[in-house]
Amino acid sequence: MTDPLLSVKNLRIELNTRDGVAPVIDDFSFDLFPGEAISFVGESGCGKSMTALGIMGLLPEGVGKIASGSINFAGEDLSSAEQKRMRNIRGNEISMIFQEPMTSLNPVYTIGEQIAEVLRAHQGLSKQASWTKAIELLDAVRIPNPQARISDYPFQMSGGQRQRVMIAIALACEPKILIADEPTTALDVTVQAQIFDLLNDLRKQTGTAIILITHDMGAVAEMAERMIVMYAGRKVEEGPVQQVIDNAGHPYTQGLISCVPHILEKLTAKRQMLQEVPGIVPSLRDFGKDQCLFASRCQYVSEKCNNTRPTENKFSSSQTVACWLTESIQ
Amino acid sequence: MSLTNTALLKVENLGVRFLMKSNMLLGKKTYLYAVDDVSFEIQRGETLAIVGESGSGKTTAALAAARLVKAYTGKITLDNTDMLQIQKEKLRQARTKVQFIFQDPYSSLNPRLRAEEIVKEPLNSLTNFSSQKKQTLVNDLFAAVGLRPEQQRLFPHQFSGGQRQRIGIARALATQPELIICDEPVSALDVAVQAQILNLLRELQSKFELTYLFISHDLGVVQHMCDQIAVMYMGKIVEYADRLSLFNSPLHPYTSALLSAIPSVDQKRRENTKRILIPGDPPDPINPPKGCRFANRCPVAKDICFQKEPKLQNTKDNHRVACHLVDETAVSPLKHLL
Repeated sequence: MTDPLLSVKNLRIELNTRDGVAPVIDDFSFDLFPGEAISFVGESGCGKSMTALGIMGLLPEGVGKIASGSINFAGEDLSSAEQKRMRNIRGNEISMIFQEPMTSLNPVYTIGEQIAEVLRAHQGLSKQASWTKAIELLDAVRIPNPQARISDYPFQMSGGQRQRVMIAIALACEPKILIADEPTTALDVTVQAQIFDLLNDLRKQTGTAIILITHDMGAVAEMAERMIVMYAGRKVEEGPVQQVIDNAGHPYTQGLISCVPHILEKLTAKRQMLQEVPGIVPSLRDFGKDQCLFASRCQYVSEKCNNTRPTENKFSSSQTVACWLTESIQ
Repeated sequence: MSLTNTALLKVENLGVRFLMKSNMLLGKKTYLYAVDDVSFEIQRGETLAIVGESGSGKTTAALAAARLVKAYTGKITLDNTDMLQIQKEKLRQARTKVQFIFQDPYSSLNPRLRAEEIVKEPLNSLTNFSSQKKQTLVNDLFAAVGLRPEQQRLFPHQFSGGQRQRIGIARALATQPELIICDEPVSALDVAVQAQILNLLRELQSKFELTYLFISHDLGVVQHMCDQIAVMYMGKIVEYADRLSLFNSPLHPYTSALLSAIPSVDQKRRENTKRILIPGDPPDPINPPKGCRFANRCPVAKDICFQKEPKLQNTKDNHRVACHLVDETAVSPLKHLL
């Protein structure tokens, strides 16, 4: 087996809140292998984006910090890297695209200037060369007539086209890792399908590893090979995508899958009530407690769940689950 | 089209247009036809979904049906009342029968009002109930949507997104309406909370015998909630059928593309569904093309599609479609691609 490209070990990210310090990410570990596509799944407030920002060194200054753990990227620990070094890595080695293509582009620069800027900053290309490369990139993300569109401002493009521009910027320096944080949530379903196809094709061509952050199990199934289910800053389940979907071990994962009305291969007249996951994600105050944080919403809860944080156990050959009751549910 | 008398809401040839002000200088009025010749009906106790992508006119059609935006042409009949002809007191009474649930539970609740005042608002403006009766109603409504009595005194910011949507639902139920228009009621909510709200909506529907007009872009939610589905594209209904025939045998190429684009957890569906790509964007809505509005993106468009606008026509089993390439045998024009 090859070495992981990115190896996060026992990561703990703390946020300063009014009620004191809260561990938004608590003892979180995972590996990402070269060229692989994995997905972080969970509701909002479960720490998916925080993990991404931690890796990128973009935690809000003075509010969030990496308290312990390591982020090993190609032999280097990013958790203790200098800001200057991180600036070099961001955009060059690890890139990120965000949910809102409307607000992540600068409205007063043309998209060409915004793509070329990355190339000049990271690869030291000349003005002319970076412009030519920018046109090529627009073509690669399938924007029709790139020569003309490169001088457009973001407001002249549709949401899907803006997200393509974001992808072009993110992939300009051929990064080893692309973090896509809910990249299609703001887009229509047919546009989403085009963006997914594009990301899949680019991954095949460039070998970029992808971390997809989403709450949509369908998107996970479409895009990723392995998924990590997060709840309240902790990993609750990890495994190959289809295996987890077909046989989820953690009650939270089961809930996430069965609470959505899926479109199956053949629709039938029968419609059942959706399986609800009652309640909501706990508030930051409760993060970090030595218990299962899902216990208050779990139908299988037992006493142990409220007293001790569950450990991560093997569920099947390639699946791990952090739940005290995994065996009894089966 | 069979327009029977049992329909609670009947919308015929509805048109909504917006004046594009930028062209006023030229002395010429240019309109954007957001909803163009749209007809649908909802039977009592049933749910009709209008689906479509952003900008397709689904919300505008629903707003017009409730007389919240002005229709410039068409006829809207709610419970045998011609909604476009009535005024003042009659309109006020009619409004108690149609209520709205909005998409964003954060912006659709007044942050300065307490939850009970929010739910009471439609009662204040549309009914003459005594304050005691209003309070009793509010108590019942809070119980019906799963909120605790002591939460009545709280302000919107003290609630979670799902709870706020419950307040929005309670407000919609306050005047004991027959028709509730749900405009993307769960798309701003977290997945687990979506299920809670969808289950609540279905429970309330059977409890109060409600009729829903359901606006959504999420086809998974739509197939779960609805009996009839109308697919809109650029202000027009392009396909109109019951839930099973629309999902299992879509006829319009746009519907097929829409369905094929949904990411699925079902491995079999992923393997057996060929994705139908529709490149490009919809044409400029101010200058719609003279033929079929979907023709420039349609994978099977023929000459006639660019020349003549297709009409919504019945095929079989009341499955209606606006496509030149579908005849009464109801065979999908994309059959060879699937």
